[in-house]
Amino acid sequence: MFLALTALVDEPRHGYGIVQEVDRLSEGRVQLKIGTLYGVLDRLSAAGLVVLDREEAQQGRLRRYYRLTDEGARALQEEATRMAAAASAATARLRARAAGGAAASLLASIAASLRAGGAA
Amino acid sequence: MSLLELRYRSVLRLLPASYRAEREEEMVDAFLESAGDAPDEANPRPGWGEIASVLALSVRVRLGGAGAPARFVAWGETVRLVALFGLAYQSLDSVFVAADLIRALVFGPEFVLMGAPGSADRLLSIGVAAAAICWAVAFVAIMRGHVLLAKVTALLGAAPTLAYFVVPAFLAGPRPLVEAANLVFVAVPVIALLLGFHSDVTPWRRPWPLALTPTAAGLALLGTAWLVVWLRPQDAEWLYLWLDLGTTVPVWGVASVVVLARRRSPSWALALAVAGLLVLAARLPMLVNLPEGPQWTTAGAQCVLLGALSLVLAGAGLRGLPRARAA
Repeated sequence: MFLALTALVDEPRHGYGIVQEVDRLSEGRVQLKIGTLYGVLDRLSAAGLVVLDREEAQQGRLRRYYRLTDEGARALQEEATRMAAAASAATARLRARAAGGAAASLLASIAASLRAGGAA
Repeated sequence: MSLLELRYRSVLRLLPASYRAEREEEMVDAFLESAGDAPDEANPRPGWGEIASVLALSVRVRLGGAGAPARFVAWGETVRLVALFGLAYQSLDSVFVAADLIRALVFGPEFVLMGAPGSADRLLSIGVAAAAICWAVAFVAIMRGHVLLAKVTALLGAAPTLAYFVVPAFLAGPRPLVEAANLVFVAVPVIALLLGFHSDVTPWRRPWPLALTPTAAGLALLGTAWLVVWLRPQDAEWLYLWLDLGTTVPVWGVASVVVLARRRSPSWALALAVAGLLVLAARLPMLVNLPEGPQWTTAGAQCVLLGALSLVLAGAGLRGLPRARAA
């Protein structure tokens, strides 16, 4: 849902346009099947996060474009903020772990040098 | 129309007509665009992933997914209630298993557990008992909104029944009708749980007393059963037919009459009809083995009540469903 909403931020897109954009945004990790895409669109539409923008006929077939609503943009902003906070917390802890690891190895090498000096 | 389009449209027939009327053309457009150029000579077919995604969408729409018509919302509610009724009964039944395990701890395992200590039979016996207790966890979990936990524990609870049916059937051929009926009785609510509580359904968070009601009812029933065994009433074997699966019959009967009298929820009427038919399916094969007399009459009366009232409930439920949206 997050990627589908993100795909609609810059412009309205039709079904396959959303599939392509999600593929691009996820660097190929998420490849939406058409049945899955329409399940997602049903949910987003029911929640008022996306609406139908326009309809076009392409080679005799109906093509519908969807756009993000203001409510959808707000929901995406909240989710992005939450994810950024989680990513930031993870990064901070990883830095602390790396710093802790470096300090511990420095102490271990000092202790080893002292032991070696004592033995000599 | 290309062969691929024709075949994809056939796959889309899995979806309800009302949904297809709304979405088919744009789904076909999106699919053909994603499939690229596929000449008929290459005999192209939609991939299994695409078919599975349409099947999953179909189940979700038919069971009241986001934006589904009122008729499908009612069917979704029906399926979820069937799951709840099934889990509630199994949860009640698991109290007896838990009591047996406690007896095994207090008085020694020989009373209730199969096999010699340390044997595979003993281990299996403990495993089956533990699986039965999973039903109680599943019911509490679904009532408290933990859908995934409920699904996993319900599958664990159903696993022994499935294994006891499938393994002998695989090794020695068709199983007796009573085992097949028991499998249906156990499996249908689990399938209803897996399908009905899909990602579009907001998990319930019911109060604790409601979540623990089947356990409390199981304890009350256990006490009653022990009292009856202790009193050993003469010529009253028929009484035991109200203390096993038969316990559900009066409760189900009262609930059915209330639902029919209020004429409010088609989902409740349909779910009670399914529950009644499941109990009937489990009860009917017993009639073959019961001796003629009060026992057979009691079980026969239960079956007649279950069958007749289930049909009335099903009729009322189907009539009360919201009309299908014109395609």
